[in-house]
Amino acid sequence: MKQVAILLTLALPLCARDKAQLKHDLDQIAKTATVMVDGDTCQRILTPRALQHILQKDPRDEWAAGDNYDVDDHAFITTKKTLMRLAQLVDYPVDVNLWMPIDGAPDRIHIVIRNRYEMSQFWKWGDLTQPMPPLMRSVLEDGKRVTVDQKPQYISVLAPVRNSLNDIVGLVEVVSEISPNPRENVK
Amino acid sequence: MWILRNSLPVVLLLAATCQAQQPRALQECFRPDPFGGIVESDRQGAGWLKQVNLKAARGSYASFHLVISKKASADYKLAVRFPLAVDVYREWFHFNTPDKKYYPDALIPVSLPYQFQIPDPDNKIPGQTAQAFWIDLWIPADSQTKTYQGEAIVSTSSGSETLPIALSVIPAVVPKDDAVTLDNNSYGTSWLVNQYPKTLAAFRDSSEESPAGEDRLIGLIHAYHRIFYENRGTFHQLGYGHAGKVGPEFAPELTGTGRQMHIASWDLFDRHYGPLLDGSAFRDTRRGAKPIPFMYLPVNPEWPASFLWWGEPGYDAEFVNVLSEMERHFREKHWTHTKFEVFFNHKKRYKGFPWDGDEVRFERDNNYFRVYHRMLEQAIPLHSPVHFVMRADTSWTAAQQFRELEGVIGFWVVGEGELIWHPDAIPRLKQHGDIIWTYGGTPTVQKVSTEITLNPLRSWINGVDGFVRWQTVEPGSDPWFHLNGGDLTLVYPGERFNIAGPIPSIRLKLQRNCLQDLALLNALSTGDSRKTYAEEVVRRFNHTQITDWSNANAKLPAKPIIDWNNADFADALKPYEARFANLDPGAWLRVREYILDQAEKTQ
Repeated sequence: MKQVAILLTLALPLCARDKAQLKHDLDQIAKTATVMVDGDTCQRILTPRALQHILQKDPRDEWAAGDNYDVDDHAFITTKKTLMRLAQLVDYPVDVNLWMPIDGAPDRIHIVIRNRYEMSQFWKWGDLTQPMPPLMRSVLEDGKRVTVDQKPQYISVLAPVRNSLNDIVGLVEVVSEISPNPRENVK
Repeated sequence: MWILRNSLPVVLLLAATCQAQQPRALQECFRPDPFGGIVESDRQGAGWLKQVNLKAARGSYASFHLVISKKASADYKLAVRFPLAVDVYREWFHFNTPDKKYYPDALIPVSLPYQFQIPDPDNKIPGQTAQAFWIDLWIPADSQTKTYQGEAIVSTSSGSETLPIALSVIPAVVPKDDAVTLDNNSYGTSWLVNQYPKTLAAFRDSSEESPAGEDRLIGLIHAYHRIFYENRGTFHQLGYGHAGKVGPEFAPELTGTGRQMHIASWDLFDRHYGPLLDGSAFRDTRRGAKPIPFMYLPVNPEWPASFLWWGEPGYDAEFVNVLSEMERHFREKHWTHTKFEVFFNHKKRYKGFPWDGDEVRFERDNNYFRVYHRMLEQAIPLHSPVHFVMRADTSWTAAQQFRELEGVIGFWVVGEGELIWHPDAIPRLKQHGDIIWTYGGTPTVQKVSTEITLNPLRSWINGVDGFVRWQTVEPGSDPWFHLNGGDLTLVYPGERFNIAGPIPSIRLKLQRNCLQDLALLNALSTGDSRKTYAEEVVRRFNHTQITDWSNANAKLPAKPIIDWNNADFADALKPYEARFANLDPGAWLRVREYILDQAEKTQ
């Protein structure tokens, strides 16, 4: 919680979002997220039904996986609230997204929780799962935070999420834009 | 609204004697191509006309295609002499990527006299030999009942040729209100920024916004409302995303948190919605000023209350504070003619929230609707003149939701296929005062033109209040030279033609004319006569009986709904949809002829 206190002192308006300052802020949030996000709870978010369908391709119904996507309300809400609190450590738009690998599909990953501004450098809108980006794989394997600015105007910091066995079970993407567009993603 | 007085043999005779060089006409349902022919899907029963004879009721439009074939000269001038108001549109021929053919759809308003060339250098069609115009004749409700005569005149350097136009106006007046609300849906405003790069340049290049820039955006939004209203439709624009981000013009500005949360500013919201809610945005339209009948509120799981407080007292406090202030503001502004919809569009597959607001599939998600209804009741005074309503868009579990959310949901938007499995639900829901719409898509340009009339007619036959086309403003990245069927749009951005607003389509006009006819039919249908009219209408439309329009005995999958998939739905619907698979382009003209005849007899 000491880190949180330090961060709160940094929670000042950034009129011009300096890129270096933004990277620093997001990195601090990401570092805190690794401490605060409960990996065991994250692992309970997807229901067995969703897990059963998420990788299946139904030749008669291209929407079957999405139509069977379901989550455990309690685990989802608990985790989302933590992510939302982390985003409040600065007073400009930041999203903290949760990403998790999929059992039995080492080459794929899926976003599990998104937040208000719908920012991400990795999510392809509407995709239930997607190929594992190498940068995410490195975080899942090495446990080291990574700063990403591959998409113009965006900065993300990826940080590991661990469970009680100290296994890395997912990662957070702490993301913001240098000049946020108030109408982007309202669709 | 209008019919050709000539019987089919006469039409064919006229077609045979018609000279290719003369201006010719086609009934509205037969769309021309740029080579002097008719698009393949509309050819059945089509005939060229060298004289237009129309019949229509007052308070409506009468329409036809005017087609000019290429002569030796490349330069032409079009004029129309007619005693009533005439709107002339140049028809744009889109190259349609799916079947690599040309279809007219976008209608570019032109001022008369209008000079043009064949081939049209703007449309860039190799080998173009014909240019088409959509002609709308507007008949005010107080017009004299008589036959109006006029002509279209096409001039070249070597002389002029004319097309005589006769319009017989009958005493009946098309009601201002529609029998079926045809709703045109859309999402957010970022599409406007993409479609109007010049008008909204400030929004593209910078996140900095000025009141002047906002006014341009709001002006465009109002223009979209107007074009749909003028064409007998309504326009919905959802103002939030799947994870709860709200566009600034869709919600009042909030401040504070928890019990201190309240509305800080109405400025942008009122500039956007004020003219729509008091009707002044429509002041200069032919239909006259009228408040919009429906409006999405920005309410979602993340607005006004932060989802951070979900399940805690702070969530209720934030929600109730803000909704109470909204009710008070709307009441003080006398915005009491609009239904303000609390509608949840999110789905859990988009990862923003843990429940489906749209098309609920898992029964336990209904609990969330109950929570919002409880909070809404807390926020809104019992006898408020402002109309707030909980809306649910439903498909999989429609029948279950009708039961479980009775008294919670007051506005149902149901998948058309699902609703007709449960015809008993319609009178039961209406008994509670619920509003019932169905939803679906928009026919592509390559479908027979009459397809656009099917959903409105089906809505009237089944007794529902409206039909939503779920996306109507997305023409694609290059609709002019690579249209992708056009099933996501009924209007086009006018900026290419120096028009800072939307322009209509032929499909929108055909739909409007159908809605005019339905409004008149509905006015005629009192008591038992409705059934008689309905039987004759469906017989004329596609040679069916009224029982064919019901699907109550469909063979549904014998497994729990939660285990159904879209293929199961499609299979169960196939026998029903097959009854409407082979519409001919003249289907609606036959219906119109009947309605106008009945209207004349009733007078």
